[in-house]
Amino acid sequence: MSDPEARKVVELGYGGSERLTMNMGPQHPSAHGVFRAILILEGETVAGVDAVIGYLHRCHEKLGESLTYTQYPSIASKTDYVAAMTSELAYVRAAELVGKVEVPKRAQYLRVMVAELQRVASHCLWLGTWCLDMGGALGGGATVFLYCIRERESVLDLFEALVGARLLYGFHQVGGTRYDIPAGWAEKCRQTVAAIDKRIDEYEDMLEGNAFFLARTQGVGVISRELAQEVGISGPLIRGSGVAYDVRRAEPYSSYEDFDFKVPVETAGDCYARYRVRMQEFRESIKIVRQALDGLPEGPISSRPGVKSVGQVRVAKGEGYARVEGARGEVGCYLVADGGAKPYRMKWRGASFSNLSVLHHIIPGHKVADVVAIMGSVDPVFGEVDR
Amino acid sequence: MAPETRPRGFAREIADLVGAVGRAMKVTFINFVRKPVTVHYPDVQRAYPDRFRGVLALVYDKETGEEACIGCRLCEYICPPQVIKVEMLKAEKRNFAKTFTLELYACEFCELCVQVCPTDAIVMMKSFDVATADRRELLFDKDRLHAVGLQFPQSWATGNLLRDMQSPPKAAKAEAAPGKAAGGPE
Amino acid sequence: MPAPLYYFIVGFIVLNAVIGMVTYVTLLERKFAARMQSRIGPYRVGPHGLLQPIADAVKLMMKEDVVPTLADRHVYNLAPIVFLIPCMLIFATVPFAPGLGVADLNIGILFFLAVSAMEIVGLFMAGWGSNNKYALLSAMRAVNQIISYDLPFIFAALVPVVLAGSLRLSDIAQAQVGFFGAFIFYPVIGQLAFIAYIVTTLAAENRVPFDILEAESELVAGFRVEYSGMKFALIQLGEYAHAIGTSFLGALLFFGAWSGPGPAWLGPLWFLLKAMAVFLLITWVRWSFVRIRVDQILAISWKLMLPASLLLLMATATWVAWSASGA
Repeated sequence: MSDPEARKVVELGYGGSERLTMNMGPQHPSAHGVFRAILILEGETVAGVDAVIGYLHRCHEKLGESLTYTQYPSIASKTDYVAAMTSELAYVRAAELVGKVEVPKRAQYLRVMVAELQRVASHCLWLGTWCLDMGGALGGGATVFLYCIRERESVLDLFEALVGARLLYGFHQVGGTRYDIPAGWAEKCRQTVAAIDKRIDEYEDMLEGNAFFLARTQGVGVISRELAQEVGISGPLIRGSGVAYDVRRAEPYSSYEDFDFKVPVETAGDCYARYRVRMQEFRESIKIVRQALDGLPEGPISSRPGVKSVGQVRVAKGEGYARVEGARGEVGCYLVADGGAKPYRMKWRGASFSNLSVLHHIIPGHKVADVVAIMGSVDPVFGEVDR
Repeated sequence: MAPETRPRGFAREIADLVGAVGRAMKVTFINFVRKPVTVHYPDVQRAYPDRFRGVLALVYDKETGEEACIGCRLCEYICPPQVIKVEMLKAEKRNFAKTFTLELYACEFCELCVQVCPTDAIVMMKSFDVATADRRELLFDKDRLHAVGLQFPQSWATGNLLRDMQSPPKAAKAEAAPGKAAGGPE
Repeated sequence: MPAPLYYFIVGFIVLNAVIGMVTYVTLLERKFAARMQSRIGPYRVGPHGLLQPIADAVKLMMKEDVVPTLADRHVYNLAPIVFLIPCMLIFATVPFAPGLGVADLNIGILFFLAVSAMEIVGLFMAGWGSNNKYALLSAMRAVNQIISYDLPFIFAALVPVVLAGSLRLSDIAQAQVGFFGAFIFYPVIGQLAFIAYIVTTLAAENRVPFDILEAESELVAGFRVEYSGMKFALIQLGEYAHAIGTSFLGALLFFGAWSGPGPAWLGPLWFLLKAMAVFLLITWVRWSFVRIRVDQILAISWKLMLPASLLLLMATATWVAWSASGA
């Protein structure tokens, strides 16, 4: 638990009890964004951690009240900007849920396909930055980082051919999607996915069984099953601790029940278990993409006509909560609609925000070097945390 | 590492370590002999896909050669960061835009303005290269927007094409349906 | 010519050659690392980046020298120099060709190992004088790590000494005359000693996987974090000079320094190539692995490297004594 004396960050730090207060500040190469962790150290061991967030707050929920249903989806991608497709999907599904809008089958398959491709891209970034944190900007970590970025670039090239943008898409709209796949894209997608499959074998070769990697990740940051269920984490964190909870299975949305995929679960609860869960998720996502490409039905991509004016979409009075399985966990959007073109209230459930709450349970007791390994395996994106 | 199995366990561990080290170094060696993926920009341009969302521009009508923009302000209303400002100029046969300013430094490149334009007047180009040292140069007025429209190749997306792609097929569009169902243009 | 003048000139030449080599070795490392990462290294500054080190040197010289207000001024300012001097001094005993060297001491390798360990003082001064917790943490880890690894380093380096029977570096190189006389080809002992040497060199030079003390992602450059401009350049110089110095030592101890096909005046060139090969091997390891935690590093040193290298040394000594008495 955090030391009440540590609230004041003393210049030279020795607060009289051999404890050093060190700031892993918002500007830090491995803070995964803007995150301030005030660490209270006894020698090399962390005795307490005080997390300060809010450096990236951009008033998304207020923007949700002032922008209409046609305008907000492209802003929604900026919450979890690393996995933008799933963020937009949460908002759009919430609007469709409250407004009782049907989504055509083709659009649902397209949504699944881009969501899984996005998961592959997001996990590539996760693996790269995690190894970068653990291995150093000048060292083996940078090597794995550049390999993963190389793979991620091929997925982003696919998105660029589909949507026109590489990182923040505006792909979804209320009622379906905005873009259909161009000619030749399906073939390119298959090739890309096959290439990534092979490259993941290479990364596993490099990291599995590597004594250095195992020494850094096994037994580090153990989240016990009880803690996982109490604290409210989701995604690979909870699946790494033995709880088989995946929103795609618990509450299937967007035709996920048509697809055949496993939900990887590991029981150890340490960083290595979470790593294994995400590596298996790579393979499962690639499987889903292939199935979606094979089974893509014909039809329209939206049940509403294309957006022609800003107030075109109106959602009747009501409220509802829609959630999706993002790359980091359960991303949810609670929408209260009042019949107009703008929501009355919109609340984001950020996956990373809830995931960060586990940090102050698991970090104390570890060494400073483990803090970065744990932060990396929790994989927060601060757009989701601070919104 | 239990003490009683230490001899065999220790040798096994060392063997595992050597194997792991060898595998990791093999992967880096393989990448050492692979061709680098670097594209020598700006000497070599990357091939932009058809739908690339680049810089915005105003275009002229293909048949008449007049400005396509009718100053209807739909793009101004839909823009999420509100970077477009239009003033309409009324004339006899059709309206024009008296002034049209677009703040490119705040633009999100979301393509919503392109989507709503009824006359396909505002489009995006297949280039983003308007880097400058002075932000004021990125406040595009109507002349600059038309100049940009002639300077770069245009992307595929225009308002009507996007809306056609998204709308559910109606009976009137039945003849276009086979092309659309196959999945959009090249 | 009078002896002091001769030594002064030779020393001057060697020092400048070392500095020149250090700057270009950074380019070599960057391009080598870049190729392993599917990219090209420095490319635009000069043809294929050949002027990049000069550009870096000019940049560092032109930078503002920022000194933290509460830093311990004298310790802070002296630290880069105290760090650099031992790293340069080790080149004094390295013979680049038979008879060509600044000071071919008859305790050459002892001098080398002792002086190279003195960089810890400069390192700790840098960490302490910076008045920065990251630097302090890094400096404490450094002292731990380098001291722990110096012992196995010395034992691994002593194996060729025992095989050659002399502490003088040129004698050790002479004992490896001929292509297959290089000590690395000694059955079992040579290879194990070389591997131990490489591992302990990585640790003694703060290279990944043992670079916990400059862990960029945790400690943001560690003990160097408060240095800018020319002082940073001196610290960089010292680090790379130390790295190259131990590469030269490795090439000399294990690969036979100047022996190689061709006329005798090609000797220094072979020496350079072998040293670069050792350096590239270290670089290859560096860019392939993630780092390990400091307590794991210390565990490896005390529980694995020290007993192993000690055993290796004793085995070598036994073998040499047995073969000398038997044969």
